[in-house]
Amino acid sequence: MKESAATMPAAEARQRGMAAAGQFVDILLLTRRSVRTTLRVPAAFLPSLAISVFFLFVYDAGLGNIAKLPGFGGDYLGFILPVAIVSAAVSGAGSAGQALVRDLESRYLYKLLLTPASRAAIVLGPIIAGALELGVQVVIIIVLGVALGMRPATGLAGLLVVLLLALLWGVAFAGYAAGVALRTRNAQAAQAATFAFFPLIFLSTTFVPKELLAAEWLKVAATINPTTYVLDAMRALLLHGWQGRQLLAGFVASVLFALVTSTFATLSARRVLSRT
Amino acid sequence: MAESSIVVDQLVKRYAGNITAVDGVSFTVEPGEIFGCLGPNGAGKSTTVQVLTTLLMPTSGRVLVAGHDVVREPVAVRWAIGVALQDVGLDPLLTAREILELQARLFRMSARAARRRADELVELVGLADAADRRIGTYSGGMRRRLDLALALVHNPRILFLDEPTTGLDPASRAEVWEEVRRLNAEGVTVFLTTQYLEEADRLAHRLAIIDHGKIVAEGTPAELKASIGGEAISVSFADRAQVARAREALAGFAERIETTGATLVVYRERAAAAVPDLVRLLDDAGLAPESIMVAQPTLDDVFLRATGSRLANGATAERAA
Repeated sequence: MKESAATMPAAEARQRGMAAAGQFVDILLLTRRSVRTTLRVPAAFLPSLAISVFFLFVYDAGLGNIAKLPGFGGDYLGFILPVAIVSAAVSGAGSAGQALVRDLESRYLYKLLLTPASRAAIVLGPIIAGALELGVQVVIIIVLGVALGMRPATGLAGLLVVLLLALLWGVAFAGYAAGVALRTRNAQAAQAATFAFFPLIFLSTTFVPKELLAAEWLKVAATINPTTYVLDAMRALLLHGWQGRQLLAGFVASVLFALVTSTFATLSARRVLSRT
Repeated sequence: MAESSIVVDQLVKRYAGNITAVDGVSFTVEPGEIFGCLGPNGAGKSTTVQVLTTLLMPTSGRVLVAGHDVVREPVAVRWAIGVALQDVGLDPLLTAREILELQARLFRMSARAARRRADELVELVGLADAADRRIGTYSGGMRRRLDLALALVHNPRILFLDEPTTGLDPASRAEVWEEVRRLNAEGVTVFLTTQYLEEADRLAHRLAIIDHGKIVAEGTPAELKASIGGEAISVSFADRAQVARAREALAGFAERIETTGATLVVYRERAAAAVPDLVRLLDDAGLAPESIMVAQPTLDDVFLRATGSRLANGATAERAA
């Protein structure tokens, strides 16, 4: 009788440390696969990149003079760049949602569910790939911003922190889209879910600082909106310098948001996919 | 003797909306055998497979696969089983080599071992030339072969096949049977579901016949057919009215008579020798059958006796009293 290689290795079963390392490798492998498949459909990611770049130019061209008003810190490019970044997250989210719907429709997802990989790892693959897609766009946006004359107050290190914040933000958006994709199993619904982000993006200090917001209700909305804190953190880095309070608020908002949506995605995966 | 490969005890699976797909099913599968689950569409075969392979949670009942409880130790179960479902599950944007390597690595093989395993499997299922092309370019037959290869990546000792030859042409079907036999000869226990009598008859060592979520018969193909009690004479008439009259005419002639549509099936020992008597009885009653056929009992006969319908064409039949 042929010796089976497939008994759960006793060593792994015993050692919790190895189990955790295994999870980490699974997430890497699954993310790599998602990135690979994303790159193989350029038509899916190029348009949103073009849109982000386009808006950056348009915002600056149209609204650039506002920076001369007090409260802006003088450089509108630095003020508006975070908006371009945060709205670009919508495309990474859409990508993650679509990837999961594709996996559901092709039924490849079931093959993945039949491996020892955890549900969380399986869902995180497309989510992180979506965040990375956003990351690439963010780098391009930043490079463009610098080319257009923006000089970040915190230099290269600050730009890297902006990128990190953007990646966390990307995970947060992607997690939500992933959860909706898993529950609806429908490409259109998954795409429509990303439209839910637009209120988040615009009910905030999107175009002007909070003090200059015209309506009281908008000020209130901006205060409870996590987007505001991320925008403020990025603006602090680009325009003012290392401001601890804004940075902390921005990271806390992103991390919390990312945790909430990733949990939503994992729960959706468990509930909907395998255990009806 | 090693413990059973699969133990199913009063498995019930109910979906939302009170649809009971599996209604108290119990059976065991011994190591090294090919166990078949035969039944029409909607009988509960696919649901059963999905519960046994940890893709669905049972509503109640106990299921042990390779000694592990599917509810409490799903990961341990996944290590021991390979699964090829009715619909192929592949990512069209990956290549065969990539998909096999990823699966191998998710089963904790090193990068090198995974690559070697992918090479082996790609040779085994005849996809060596296409291994680095995207799966989206493959034909249906190629995808099925890859699907099976994917199930075998981690050398599972139990293989689940859900309707493995549905929709295949006879040549491909024969190839699949060959592959199943070969794997079984190497020691792999096989659990397969099918709606094809011939497949169940030829491949399975033991069978469970399932209908409307319940097992209606169980045993080896030979045992099941012998349980019918003798050979069968199928007498076809032009219309049902004649069938009813024929029933009366033949009362007492046979141990058992069943009707299905415009055909009468008469069961008795040494049926061939009894044909002249049968013809005489019908003739005396003024009946002229369109055809008379003597046949060994088939699994369809077993199904008919157990459920009152034919498996082969789904036509409802009336049972003999």
